[in-house]
Amino acid sequence: MSLSLGQTLKIRAMIYVAAEPVPFFWPMRSFIHHNPLHGLEHMPFAEAVEKGGKIFHGRTFLPRYDYQRYLKTGDVDVNSLEFSVDQYLAQINFTADVNLKKWIMSLLTQQTSVVVNPLTVASVADVKSTLNNQSLASASDLSDEKLCEILQNELLGEHLVYESVDALYGTDIGNDLDDLVIKSCLDFFDEGQSVWGMPERRQGFFSAWREVATRNVRLFLRGMHINHILAVDDSPEGVIAHVMETLGVSEDHWIAYFTNEIARLHGWAGFIRWRSSSKQYYWHKRYPADLVDFVAIRLALGLALLQQSGRRDLASTGNAISRIIKTSPKETFLRHEFYTGKVIPALAHEVEMCLQSRSPVRLEKVFSKYIATKRHYESRTLANRLSDLARSVGESESLKQLSVEELDELVAALKAFEKQEGMHWLRAMESKAMAILTQGINLAPTQSRDKRPFVQALFCIDTRSERIRRHLESVGDYQTYGIAGFFGVPVSFMELGKGSENHLSPVIVTPKNLVLEMSTDEQQYDPTAVTTIEKVFHELKESILSPFVTVEAIGLLFGFDMVGKTIAPRAYNIWRKQVQPDRSHTRLLLDKLSREQADSIIRTVQRAVIIKAAEQELGLAPENINDNIVRQFRDGAMQLSDASDDLPEISGIDKSRVHAFISRLHKTYRINPSFAQVQLEQLGRIGFTVDEQAHFVSQALFAIGLTKEFSRFILLVGHGSTSDNNPYESALDCGACGGNHGLVNARVIAQMGNKPEVRAKLRDLGVDIAEDAWFIPALHNTTTDEIRMHDLDLVPASHLVYLDRLRNGLTAASRLCTQERIPTLQCQVNTHGPDSAFDVAQRNAIDWSQVRPEWGLSRNAYFIIGRRALTEQFPLEGRAFLHSYDYLVDPKQRILENILTGPLVVGQWINMEHYFSAVDNERFGSSSKAYHNVAGRFGVMSGNLSDLRTGLPSQTVLENGRPYHQPVRLITLIEAPFEHAKIAVEAVVAVKNLVRNGWIRLMISDPRTNILHIYDDGEWHQQPHHPTSETLLPRESTQP
Amino acid sequence: MLILAGLFLPLFPLSMVFNTVFSRIEKPYQRIVLLMLWPQIGLLLVHLSDVSIPSWVVTWGILTAFFYAFRLLTIRELGLWASFLATSAWALLWVTILHDGESPFYLYALGFSVPLSLLVFLNKELTDRFGAAYVGLYQGLAQTQPRISGILVMVLLAVIATPIFPSFFTMLHTIITATPDSFVTVVLACFVWLLWSWAACRVMAGLIVGPATAFDVPDLTIATTWKYSGVIVSLIILSLILIGGMP
Repeated sequence: MSLSLGQTLKIRAMIYVAAEPVPFFWPMRSFIHHNPLHGLEHMPFAEAVEKGGKIFHGRTFLPRYDYQRYLKTGDVDVNSLEFSVDQYLAQINFTADVNLKKWIMSLLTQQTSVVVNPLTVASVADVKSTLNNQSLASASDLSDEKLCEILQNELLGEHLVYESVDALYGTDIGNDLDDLVIKSCLDFFDEGQSVWGMPERRQGFFSAWREVATRNVRLFLRGMHINHILAVDDSPEGVIAHVMETLGVSEDHWIAYFTNEIARLHGWAGFIRWRSSSKQYYWHKRYPADLVDFVAIRLALGLALLQQSGRRDLASTGNAISRIIKTSPKETFLRHEFYTGKVIPALAHEVEMCLQSRSPVRLEKVFSKYIATKRHYESRTLANRLSDLARSVGESESLKQLSVEELDELVAALKAFEKQEGMHWLRAMESKAMAILTQGINLAPTQSRDKRPFVQALFCIDTRSERIRRHLESVGDYQTYGIAGFFGVPVSFMELGKGSENHLSPVIVTPKNLVLEMSTDEQQYDPTAVTTIEKVFHELKESILSPFVTVEAIGLLFGFDMVGKTIAPRAYNIWRKQVQPDRSHTRLLLDKLSREQADSIIRTVQRAVIIKAAEQELGLAPENINDNIVRQFRDGAMQLSDASDDLPEISGIDKSRVHAFISRLHKTYRINPSFAQVQLEQLGRIGFTVDEQAHFVSQALFAIGLTKEFSRFILLVGHGSTSDNNPYESALDCGACGGNHGLVNARVIAQMGNKPEVRAKLRDLGVDIAEDAWFIPALHNTTTDEIRMHDLDLVPASHLVYLDRLRNGLTAASRLCTQERIPTLQCQVNTHGPDSAFDVAQRNAIDWSQVRPEWGLSRNAYFIIGRRALTEQFPLEGRAFLHSYDYLVDPKQRILENILTGPLVVGQWINMEHYFSAVDNERFGSSSKAYHNVAGRFGVMSGNLSDLRTGLPSQTVLENGRPYHQPVRLITLIEAPFEHAKIAVEAVVAVKNLVRNGWIRLMISDPRTNILHIYDDGEWHQQPHHPTSETLLPRESTQP
Repeated sequence: MLILAGLFLPLFPLSMVFNTVFSRIEKPYQRIVLLMLWPQIGLLLVHLSDVSIPSWVVTWGILTAFFYAFRLLTIRELGLWASFLATSAWALLWVTILHDGESPFYLYALGFSVPLSLLVFLNKELTDRFGAAYVGLYQGLAQTQPRISGILVMVLLAVIATPIFPSFFTMLHTIITATPDSFVTVVLACFVWLLWSWAACRVMAGLIVGPATAFDVPDLTIATTWKYSGVIVSLIILSLILIGGMP
């Protein structure tokens, strides 16, 4: 089989489109919060969650009893719920003589489970008979044609063939296939966890897998004839086409079929999708793979498994399933009922025995009995539930009086409502949350100050900063601001002792400038030796036989470590810190190199290489390699001059060897003009020009409205978390810094802001920083609430006298913050007073058995863009992203557009990640951390083999099995004149779509008119701002 | 007389009679009476007959026990599961009868029957709540019905002869008495024991663990839970007391 280029491209395009709903999954070491339904954001929220729920087999709203719990605790606005029900009633044409609103409200508030069960074989007339205690009409109207139709809808079309086979025969092909594919993925995508790598990985995923699969004895022993399938074509596209044709899937359904196939392992698929789009990712460049490979492997293995079951006389292709539906619909129906768990429990055993016997007479008898029982069961169940509901609203008699047509109308209305019920609850919850916010905010203009504040502190917009900011403001003359945690400076960072770059910026931004960390200390120990020891330990642990010896030889050493960490984590950790060498003091190489400096560095490196090469290849002693020889070799290699005439004479080496050596320098050691150019370009990425530095600093200060009245200290507080034995640690770090600690970005911008030449340029840009103002970088540890200042050795002597006061203020704020936060985390712990809370927080940060070191961003609900004065007096309990913004310094809305483009979008990703992880932690979250294992050094799996877990663990969003995070969409409040904010929102297409499609709930608070503008249901609604209003219902409305 | 005894200490295919009778009656109390009396009748018949037990009967008993233990792995209906386990367990009593004619067999039979009676009650509890006690139809009871799950686990452990339940001592005695005479019998009896454990694990995996599905189904009341617990603890105490009689 050989595909034409057109067919190949068509298949690739189909898979590209099919994978659109699957979100990217970034490696865990830099956890990126993402919306699991990001690929469906182009659709309205309600439609997207319905489609996403089907694709990923997940729940997209909480169960009703969780919403009822929120209703009891006052977190749902009853008025809004009723208003929402009224809106629903206005849309439908309902004539039956019952008070439908009362019925629906009772359904929402009194019934814990679904009322309208699907009627497969029963009819509304049957329900009516049951309600009136009459016997059912003698015959069911379930014809063979209807049976076939039901089965075709359930089993054919875009349904995966092996899922249909599993649903008919109780086989487990789907899970077997997932296991085989996961094993293949683990082999190929491994990033150094395994000692033995998969062979031929450089050829790509499909080719490497194909090489292994054709020699895989285990597959052969299982009876899977994978060789026959792979022999059809060498290319993944060819295999895909062959399998799809063999399975008998119509080409019209291919895209949907691929989507379903990919969505079964959406974690792995998301990782492969991200990887293939990250062209600069080291592992992708080395071992390329894409979703076409993934789908080809899945389909080939799936077909092999199906053919294996086909040899057992099971219908194992689409055509075969279609045939048995037509030839024996009754048996197929019973099979489907039994193996999908829909069977009536009381008849389960009888049906199972009947299917095993395969006797036509018995089958007919059992089928008739089953249909009759199911009919009774369905009608009785629905009749009972309707009766309960009627009783709760006092309309039992009215229900009995309804005609069949009216009952049908009632059932249809209730069914339709239950289908969209989640949206009603969600809106009512959001309405309450919005009302709470509008009651708490303060729209009064900011009072002017007599003197500048003692400290101005810039914190990340992260919700965890809200508490610490509030407490810092309460302990002294501190003014705080919120800004994205990378302070607007995208940095590619090369840490001291690391050879790779780390992007410290939101994932939607690619940094252009490289910052190097340089040590100022004399090197106390040999890092190479430490690395070697670590590598030896790792290999001893990971290889096949050595662990047996290792355990005997050095196991006790690890035993001490284990006992120490378990019995007395705090004391042991303090001891370990004393034993380990301190980290070097470092500076950041921030300034751009001049052309001369860059040339000089390249020349120096080339000289060093030539000297080493001459020693090793020509056997020259170091004292014989003088500058002249080196220069001539270099000139020769760089083809600057033909220096080979003199060289034999001065170096004492014959001419042919000199020529050969120069040639090797040129080719092997890459001392040539083109590589020098590459090196020059790489060096050109280091640092920022003074103009760039001034630009970034001014941009950050303008973004928060801080352009004058600078205080003596300007704290730039990045944040990060500390925990042990936690693969999700980076999920607790700064998302704006690409899932890393925010300290480096703080140090970068502080270093920039403290430069006189940068300040001079800032003055030209309209930012007049006081002479004595000093930027200090700091790190807020969100697990312990400590704030630690850095680079204090650079602080001018004139400022040192104030440092104690600053430290005391920070310590006080930390302790107060811990005291407020820890009871929400471990309410059973005695946390009376800051001391015990502080102790608990410290222990959480180092306790390797602690699965919940902190709540992270859980319970996030708000994104507030405006002055600090809006919420300064309003404790938001760590639920709000706070971005400082002053519309007065942004007449062209550029700053607001930047805030919407970056921080708000990232906030929405975080919000949606939490939303879906809370509503279905098993499918969209990552379930319990207790069962997690690190996979390939880039992800985690539950147990030893599972899909990559993409969302948040249950310990982050659930408490005692129920949601701790309140799943609501991000409620965004912009403080600005309505038109001003609206223009900015309209200008940012991504945000405009998010707002219009209902992924973000937007409010604009107009300080000029004191009117609140709320975007809801495609319209702007206005209402005056009343701090006492307890509900937010649409008043006046205008079209968008 | 032996053939008749083979009906009540079931030997395949005579065992089908017990299983048919057991499946036909649905009331738990009737089932319990059947479980209690059926093996006792067999033991009485053996006691009344003066015929010495030929060794092939024991082989037959072991094979019957093995066959039903193996079938147990695929049975999903809990009532039938109890019935097959009873058949498998009682068939093993032939081993003890052959090798140790002096033992209090009626107690050993009760050691198997009493925990199975608890399983019959639990079968009823599950049927009342879910329509059937059927493995795999509903899962995750540990999350939604923790009390019934806990009791079910304990009862399953009791019926598969886990230490220190009465059936454990019966099995122990069976193996100890058979050891000097027939190593093969011991190995087969141990294998049967292993199959029971495997089958019980499948039941637990199919009902108790996994994602929860039945959120609005009531759990056992606290009072009922205490009653079950009381019986289970009593069984343990009794078995520890009566162990003194074990040779």
